[in-house]
Amino acid sequence: MQEQIILRNKIAKGDFSRGGETSSNLKEILRKLGIKSDINRRVTIVTYEMEMNIIIHSLGGEITVYISSEQIRVVAEDLGPGIDDLERAFQPGYSTAADYVRDMGFGAGMGLNNIRHYSDQLEVETGKGQKTKFTAVIYL
Amino acid sequence: MRKHSVLLKEELCEGCTNCVKNCPTKAIRVHNGKALIRDELCIDCAECIRICAYHAKYSLTAGLADVTQYQYPIVLIPPSFYGQFKGISPLKVKKALLKLGFKEALDVSLAAEALSRKTSEFLKANPGIYISSSCPVVVRLIKLMYPELTEHLLPLKAPTDAMAEKARKDAAAKGVRPEDVGIFFITPCPGKNTTTFDPVGIDKSPIDKTIAVSQAYQAVLAVLDKHQDTAKDGASIPYLGIGWGQSGGEVKLLHEKIQSHSLSVSGIHRVRALLNELSRNNIKGVRYFELSACEYGCVGGIFNVVNPFQARYDLRRLRAKGEQMVVQEHNSYDFDLPGKFEPLQIGQLDSDLEKAMEKLTQLEEEIAVLPGLDCAACGAPDCKTLAEDIVTGLASRSDCIFLLRKQMGDLAEKLSALFHELPPVMKNGKRLLRTGDQNK
Repeated sequence: MQEQIILRNKIAKGDFSRGGETSSNLKEILRKLGIKSDINRRVTIVTYEMEMNIIIHSLGGEITVYISSEQIRVVAEDLGPGIDDLERAFQPGYSTAADYVRDMGFGAGMGLNNIRHYSDQLEVETGKGQKTKFTAVIYL
Repeated sequence: MRKHSVLLKEELCEGCTNCVKNCPTKAIRVHNGKALIRDELCIDCAECIRICAYHAKYSLTAGLADVTQYQYPIVLIPPSFYGQFKGISPLKVKKALLKLGFKEALDVSLAAEALSRKTSEFLKANPGIYISSSCPVVVRLIKLMYPELTEHLLPLKAPTDAMAEKARKDAAAKGVRPEDVGIFFITPCPGKNTTTFDPVGIDKSPIDKTIAVSQAYQAVLAVLDKHQDTAKDGASIPYLGIGWGQSGGEVKLLHEKIQSHSLSVSGIHRVRALLNELSRNNIKGVRYFELSACEYGCVGGIFNVVNPFQARYDLRRLRAKGEQMVVQEHNSYDFDLPGKFEPLQIGQLDSDLEKAMEKLTQLEEEIAVLPGLDCAACGAPDCKTLAEDIVTGLASRSDCIFLLRKQMGDLAEKLSALFHELPPVMKNGKRLLRTGDQNK
């Protein structure tokens, strides 16, 4: 089967009240498609972390999820402001989240680790002052 | 054999859709004015029984009359049962049960205490997050709607099952013939009744029959010595295990270090909300979850007679009498499950991915067409579920009264347009007679 879009959601900067909505919707869609529960869980976690990253750190963005016979591809694109030091960003516990975000229980510095841990392939395009694009692939 | 404990008295059902909307797994549809349960989605949580104003949903258990079918009937008492008797000593309640013809009256609370020890040991040896598997409704909910969390279910038997197996073994050791033994469980809920014919985690239930608390309560009350006494009953009563009858009681018996990283949540809708968060990896620091489908735990089961607030209060007072767990041989229970909890793969639109994708596109179209009012007048709980039912062939668009109305409106417009069209033989612009024109 050729790759098709199964979900596309715009995500607004700082919209904590809708945090988790995209990943929840995705979980339901994957269940309807008969995707095995362990894969579903991995995709859901990856998407959730990307979604929260857009809410917490970016100026807003969009998540698109594709499916083919072989894999699920989650693409998160935002409008910036980009990640300065990607290597540091992947360090467990490192976070640039504001205090109020941490007080809400987010921004613990595990998001990118989780994304890497649960995906089979991960690509990041970013840079200071640039847009950021995450592409995670999970094999079926 | 029937698969569920929740049943419908058709003649009482008004088709009001209250149960449809309150069902946590969206298992109910009203058709022809009757609320039908879709077996594969029902987890026997009894929310429909709770909410039905017409008492059309009900549940059946065996009666006390069945006790005489066995030479050696044994009754298992759930911790929550003691919350029904205003704090009267468990010893007296047990005596009353023996008067009703049981040869033995055993406390599931004893197995609960032993299981608490075992759970602490397990959690010390196995890192990671675990969810109590003692409430069978929660186990079914997770298998059905949170299959990704199935691996987090504590792989140990529920206290009732472990107690029943031990009772059977002990009876055999006493020389009682296996065929003479009948194990009865006083159940606070239909969910546990279902485990006797559809067990969770084990292959065959060791329990022969259940008796609803409401039935046992009246019989016990009739023969109960209601005299309140303040004397201590000694160390044989598992007061701490009795605390399991309400939400929080299980966690309280865990090892201190685990207790401080545990969370108790009760009530099926709150449990669902929690599992949603857990599924998103959004709960940090908690190692153990004690989840009960009924609000306040087993004292909130629908078979109870006393309201859950009073029962909780009385149970808490009983628990306070306990200083330590009852001394018993730890390996006299077998808590190890024969296999793993397996997730259910239900809810897919098609077994073929490509066809499922097509149906997913159709589903989005149907959702866009439906009004999104979630009025449930179609018999499904909400528009999204109706859309799913349409795509999977279980319902049609005209089940929606708004779409039906629109279709009728369109049809009326077409009819009206046709009506005003002139036959070809008539001259253009010739006036047709209208009502009232004849008199002019």
